[in-house]
Amino acid sequence: MAKQTYAGPLEQVSPYCWRIPKSYKPGMRVDGLIYADERLIAQIRHDQAPEQVANVAFLPGIQYASLAMPDIHWGYGFCIGGVCATDPAEGGVISPGGVGYDINCGVRLMRTNLFFPEVQPVLRELMDTLFARVPAGVGRGGKYKFQRQEIRRLLAEGVPYLLGRQLATAADIEHTEAGGHLAGADPDCVSDRALERGLDQCGTLGSGNHFLEVQVVDAIFDPVAAEVMGLQEGQVCVMIHSGSRGLGYQVCDDALKQFRGVPARYGIALPDRQLACAPIDSPEGRSYLGAMCAAANFAWCNRQLLMTLARESFETVFGRSREELRLSLVYDVAHNIAKLEQHALGGRPRRLWVHRKGATRAFPPRHPEVPSMYQAIGQPVLIPGDMGRASWVLVGRQGSMEQTFGTACHGAGRMMSRTAAVQHAQGRRIDRELAARGVIARAHSWRGLAEEQPDAYKDVNLVVDVVHQANLAAKVARMRPIGVVKG
Amino acid sequence: MFELFGHTADLGVRVTGASREELFAEAARGLATLLVANLETVRPVETRTLRIAGEQDDYLLLDWLQELLYLFETEHWLCRESQIRFAPGEMTAECRGEPLDEQRHCLGYEVKAITYHQLAVRQVRDLWKAEFIVDI
Repeated sequence: MAKQTYAGPLEQVSPYCWRIPKSYKPGMRVDGLIYADERLIAQIRHDQAPEQVANVAFLPGIQYASLAMPDIHWGYGFCIGGVCATDPAEGGVISPGGVGYDINCGVRLMRTNLFFPEVQPVLRELMDTLFARVPAGVGRGGKYKFQRQEIRRLLAEGVPYLLGRQLATAADIEHTEAGGHLAGADPDCVSDRALERGLDQCGTLGSGNHFLEVQVVDAIFDPVAAEVMGLQEGQVCVMIHSGSRGLGYQVCDDALKQFRGVPARYGIALPDRQLACAPIDSPEGRSYLGAMCAAANFAWCNRQLLMTLARESFETVFGRSREELRLSLVYDVAHNIAKLEQHALGGRPRRLWVHRKGATRAFPPRHPEVPSMYQAIGQPVLIPGDMGRASWVLVGRQGSMEQTFGTACHGAGRMMSRTAAVQHAQGRRIDRELAARGVIARAHSWRGLAEEQPDAYKDVNLVVDVVHQANLAAKVARMRPIGVVKG
Repeated sequence: MFELFGHTADLGVRVTGASREELFAEAARGLATLLVANLETVRPVETRTLRIAGEQDDYLLLDWLQELLYLFETEHWLCRESQIRFAPGEMTAECRGEPLDEQRHCLGYEVKAITYHQLAVRQVRDLWKAEFIVDI
């Protein structure tokens, strides 16, 4: 199956937005809207991602539009970078494919009070320590082993469970989306198989595009917001990207198996089986939501434990405590999740299930779900780029509530397939190339680095420009990587 | 016979077999080469029998591969080769392989799941063909 170019309609409706009209395919209930500029839309046409945006518009109860962010790329069923909101009161559905296998895959940023000149002389030692402490790569279990009963509590309670075990602080919880806990979590909806896959994986990074990066604040674009977040130019931070590991993958897989006959049973016609869905208010829908929320809680705990391992590594290398080093969580955001949120549509507030598949919540200032210390600036939005160029910190803007159900992009977006990236890396040493750019990379495999090389990704700066210009989120700081741990 | 094809962030496996039995065994080999980069070092010294219930070929293929993935994730057990038998409403696989030994086996991808996207099993004249995409 060759990669085909999208040949359907894409009408420009604003400098940063393109429409696939619902007349494109019979069965589309709403338009598709893709946020991109002219350069990015040219890349986006190169595969079937726009077709997937159109397919999502078939879902019952979908509101306003099937949306895609500028980092959109071809996924399975849903595109990566997609957003879809459904209304339970209008027969709206929940779709496990709209969340993805890696439920609550997300990013967190921890700051330190160290500046680059102090870290540079010991960077190699720091990266070696992080690489030794943070379990990464295929098939590697973690330091933290939980008994079945403990995992069940962790699934039900999220990060607050770790507070009781001195593995999280109240400040960590305050700086995590949803306080690191979704209330609808029901461990009884999580299969034994999923529990089995999760028992020794909480506190492990995994592989693929997951990473732990040591970064330096490279440039500040909004000094006021940066100050509120405690970020200054030259300051060293740690960014962690991981999700719900095998537990989440199994929850999604279990649901898709359970949903096999469900669309037909409820009379739902779909153009792709990976879009399988069930009415939110159905036994199948409720069971998936209970399990999905539990897996989301697991993922927040996973990133919390990864941060704990990073804190320990900094303490070892710098010989100072985490309090002295001010190893504080700036924020943690999910980018694969479905959440019940209030949005104004047609002049009245509605409770909608917002699916974000490779897309980040970006709530504006004064939104009730933004934590108190960020009320004035808006919710921090963390956008990892690639390991050679940059990552970004933004804040949510009012435009996101008006256009994208409070959502912005989640990363650079892949441009090259894994196979193409490996070919592109033949005869090269990506680790040495990164070292020449001032980035120390520690990875378990050559192929892992080859597949994740900077060239495999779109330029994150272009993606961030679009969300900034479209007023979905505003630039606060650009981060430059200096050390990377990969699976 | 199998080959890999690229799918942006993920990977696809295209499989061909002279029979449905061979197709399913080859698909397992395709998955195993993603999990471990040097499959030839996995010795067929332990046997495990897996039974998968189902009527539809594509779902059977997905469930069979998912089962192997689960064995790898929970017990770190790698399947080198398999023999498949079909009976009405189920398939049985005699799998031979061994547990992961990082001294000898070079780990490959972390496969999150086998997806339903473009999943297909079909008979074309006297050949069986299948495609599946795995989430990496």
